[in-house]
Amino acid sequence: MRKKIYILAVFILSALFIGGEFFDFLPAKIFTKNLGGQVVFAAGTATVQTTIKITVCGNNIKETEEQCDGSDLGGASCSSRGFSGGTLSCKGSCEFNTSGCTTNGGGGGGGGYVSSPVITSIIFEGRAYPLTKVVVLKDGQIAVSTIAGPDARFEVNLTELATGDYTFAVYGEDGKGLRSSLFTFPIYISSGATTKVSGIFIAPTIAIDKSEVKRGDNIAIFGQSAPQSEITIAVNSEEEFFVKTPADKDGVYLYNFDTTPLDMGQHFTKSKTALNGEISSFSKAIGFLVGTKNVASVLPTKCPAKTDLNGDCRVNLVDFSITAYWYKRSSPPASIDLNGDGKIDLIDFSIMAFYWTG
Amino acid sequence: MQNSKLQFKIQNAAIFLVVCCLLFVAYSVFAAETIFETKNSQIQVGDTLEVGFFLNTENEDINAVEGKIVFPEKLLELKEIKDGNSIINFWIERPKTKNGEIPFSGIIPGGYLGNKGLIFSVVFQSTQEGRGSIEIGNIQVLLNDGKGTEANITISNLQFVISKQAPASQPAVVERKDTDLPEVFKPIVTSDPAVFGGKYFLVFATQDKGSGIDHYEVREGKGSFILAESPYLLQNQNLDKEIAVKAVDKSGNERVITLPPQRSLPWYQNYWVWAIIMLGIVVIYVIWRIKLKMKSEK
Repeated sequence: MRKKIYILAVFILSALFIGGEFFDFLPAKIFTKNLGGQVVFAAGTATVQTTIKITVCGNNIKETEEQCDGSDLGGASCSSRGFSGGTLSCKGSCEFNTSGCTTNGGGGGGGGYVSSPVITSIIFEGRAYPLTKVVVLKDGQIAVSTIAGPDARFEVNLTELATGDYTFAVYGEDGKGLRSSLFTFPIYISSGATTKVSGIFIAPTIAIDKSEVKRGDNIAIFGQSAPQSEITIAVNSEEEFFVKTPADKDGVYLYNFDTTPLDMGQHFTKSKTALNGEISSFSKAIGFLVGTKNVASVLPTKCPAKTDLNGDCRVNLVDFSITAYWYKRSSPPASIDLNGDGKIDLIDFSIMAFYWTG
Repeated sequence: MQNSKLQFKIQNAAIFLVVCCLLFVAYSVFAAETIFETKNSQIQVGDTLEVGFFLNTENEDINAVEGKIVFPEKLLELKEIKDGNSIINFWIERPKTKNGEIPFSGIIPGGYLGNKGLIFSVVFQSTQEGRGSIEIGNIQVLLNDGKGTEANITISNLQFVISKQAPASQPAVVERKDTDLPEVFKPIVTSDPAVFGGKYFLVFATQDKGSGIDHYEVREGKGSFILAESPYLLQNQNLDKEIAVKAVDKSGNERVITLPPQRSLPWYQNYWVWAIIMLGIVVIYVIWRIKLKMKSEK
């Protein structure tokens, strides 16, 4: 009897463990600990979903933020727009054209359609860091850049595009020149349509003051995001810790994380930001060691940590071409062999693609 | 008594082994997937077969793909490879046919996460009856994690049948004339000690959203265009001549981008300087002659 109970117990435990890996139904481990007024949560793996909105002006479908689109007026008419009669139409910019509407019953006019030139364009709108550069890549190469406003909002327009599938990427450079991770999305551009991508929220930049921290001491985690936003910092090893801290009026945040609850060994930290119901994706993760001594870290510069083969502070087509020159050639220079395996292959290119700046 | 104890130990060991095997299985849940897609896999002899090769990343963010497509040359003749709308931004090895294989390799800076990313499509023409398959070989898909970690991948091959009994279908390929030029691009002249012995070279890359890029040509100075690949070793290392790069797509549309001379010529090699000097001499001479004439008239 005891044997059967033992076998049954082992089976149930195995099923719970495997099922938790597949379906994630194991209850999240949660404990709270007060650390000088801050609350630290250790929780299970969290999934963050960020939403960008894409609308296309020119597809004859009225979407949110459009007044109309081609023949789709969304049920509006001259009467609903405050006129007495006439014919309402739609401009190429997806705004109402009321030139064909009449007032005071002065005769029915014809639909005064204003033909607009065919424009194929895309508009990007979102938040980055206040008064800093925002760069848009088109298929891996810089297409346009702009400066975000004091509220970190930006809007940029790309025109003269051919119809087809594109990969666009957006990133910001904070006040110290640190670059965010690439916010990448594939989009199909239709001829004569204006596609609007809104809700882009660039992840915060992140840095730490120590590469190794003595267990029980603080490690400073800091960076920049949108002003007055709420920053969530994740620190993880086997367990994941989340803390929140506000960004100041310049979007700068700083949090001194107490490493007491962390095990000795390697850990990673990353951050995301939230403002007015919008949430960014997580930033790149930075690693640090919890050990027996404090070692100051080399603060990151605006130049990529590696893969910038020609030293111009960019990782782009030039670096790709230098690496391509050595593809499948013997004895490549160590500076080009990014993973140090003595050859240039797809792995080196993949590492370069991760650090790409355009 | 001893027998029952031994049996108990054997049972425990068996349970332990089973649990260990299940634990290993638990970690291979999601994997990226390659997909072949075609409108008609049963065709007659002489028909065209367009096959799209897609990637489903299954919630993984990937940034590098490499592999080869293998097809039976006895049954299928390759007519065209279309990579115009590929998710690959930079080809390390642009897909080209070699003895029944189409090797390819490329990267997507910033990564790609989606369920149907086009790598490229291939147009075949069937040459004889038979059954065959179009297969993927040596596929490698790497994660966008800065380490080049290999993603788990599942592959599926495409089976097709060429026979007289196949239903007569409309042409699989809908001809659409590509009149768009390749995208505007910016060639860069640069040098690096590790490339071409430190000599100046030219790098360039662009896309064509219609039929895809076919080839590039380069012209230095007033010479003629010659076939070129990036990185391209410049013949004129003085960089005192105009450089033109022509991107040609598979429909013959051309985009030419011209770079001015990167260095100015010494004054004595500049024809314009000599022309200005000669003009100046002529003007001075004419003025002198006029003054002489006026004096003589007085």
